[in-house]
Amino acid sequence: MTRVLLVEDNAQNRYLITFLLNASKFSVLSAEDGAEGLALAASGDFDLVLLDIQLPGMDGYEVARALRQNARLDGIPIVAVTSYAMTGDRERVLAAGCEGYIEKPIDPETFVAQVRAFLPEKGGA
Amino acid sequence: MAGIVQDITDRKRAEEAVRRLADDLRRQAAELERRVAERTAELSEARDRAEGADRLKSAFLATMSHELRTPLNSIIGFTGVLLQGLAGPLNDEQRKQLGMVRASGQHLLELINDVLDISKIEAGQLELAQARFDPAAAARRAADTVAAQAAEKGLEIECETEHGLPELVGDRRRVEQVLINLLANAVKFTDQGRVGLDVRATPEGVAFVVSDTGIGIPAEAHDQLFQPFRQLDSGLARAHEGTGLGLAICKRLVDRMGGTIGFESAPGVGSTFRVDLPLTPPSLTETP
Ligand SMILES: Nc1ncnc2c1ncn2[C@@H]1O[C@H](COP(=O)(O)OP(=O)(O)O)[C@@H](O)[C@H]1O
Ligand SMILES: [Mg+2]
Repeated sequence: MTRVLLVEDNAQNRYLITFLLNASKFSVLSAEDGAEGLALAASGDFDLVLLDIQLPGMDGYEVARALRQNARLDGIPIVAVTSYAMTGDRERVLAAGCEGYIEKPIDPETFVAQVRAFLPEKGGA
Repeated sequence: MAGIVQDITDRKRAEEAVRRLADDLRRQAAELERRVAERTAELSEARDRAEGADRLKSAFLATMSHELRTPLNSIIGFTGVLLQGLAGPLNDEQRKQLGMVRASGQHLLELINDVLDISKIEAGQLELAQARFDPAAAARRAADTVAAQAAEKGLEIECETEHGLPELVGDRRRVEQVLINLLANAVKFTDQGRVGLDVRATPEGVAFVVSDTGIGIPAEAHDQLFQPFRQLDSGLARAHEGTGLGLAICKRLVDRMGGTIGFESAPGVGSTFRVDLPLTPPSLTETP
């Protein structure tokens, strides 16, 4: 089973993303902010991290950089979830250590396929 | 003797006059300096206030776009989940009504996006991406976006792209936004005939031409169409929906990209909108 760490401050978005991933047999652990996300990452094993960029307190870029310091996550893709409205974010997202990003608002019909595209070939869900 | 005394008093008087003049000048210079300092302080205060207002405006816009879009995205997202049957099977009536909720949500999101876009552009807050993209693919994507609306009216969008168009550097999403607006208008104001989108290379970059066989635009209206909220058919009983922001946004986006937008139209015959963009291939400005 593919294990996903989700960091997203909006409760409904968290529910929506978790629901969609669960429906495709992914397991999801979610955090409301960067600090909680870092704590979960330090104690659990994950195959992929989904990271909202507009977070209260520590923003998504900082969280990504901090996650990249964690050896447990070596080789684990971090995927930013961000709105196109945020300009220049592609470079910033990559510079912070993310694999890439999925645009908000998420499309329920394609979201899981977009997430899968970031997973290494063999695994799948 | 008397002559010398006279000379000395004259000179003294002259020296006295010079000193008074110098004192006067110094005082005036000091006064001027003080006034300049005062005005400078006033000006910089005014500038700070203006910059503060600008910052406030852009912060407000950013907050509004986040606050308005977040709940709507939630509505559209959960409706999508339900419509896919992921939360359980739906009967036909439920599917039909949820489909209406989603369509209204999407329509409202488009309106909000338009209003926010025009405010952002007017506030000088619009930033354009610089990345390589394929103009032919952008045109096809725009045509696909409007295809369903066209099909509902029994129209097809004929998309013709010149062979071997080079990749260009620019803001793909904003280029598509312009084309979608023009195509949506063409479909909206055409009941029969054809809607076409042509893409071709020009010496300066690329040209997109959107043509239709619709109701056309009377000559006296030509000057106003690119202004916000201008619609030829206004009033509550009007036949077409829309905010009148589409062409205003197109014009401003094209301006910002350094391009031009214009049209030719004959009432009852049709309209042809043309967008010229001075976008160049990535050879010089290399971006991934
Ligand atoms: N292709 C077209 N054919 C006829 N009229 C058009 C066309 N495109 C635009 N117009 C006229 O210009 C007006 C402004 O267009 P636009 O700014 O896109 O606003 P909206 O589509 O929301 O009305 C339209 O309401 C319509 O009167
Ligand atoms: Mg329009």
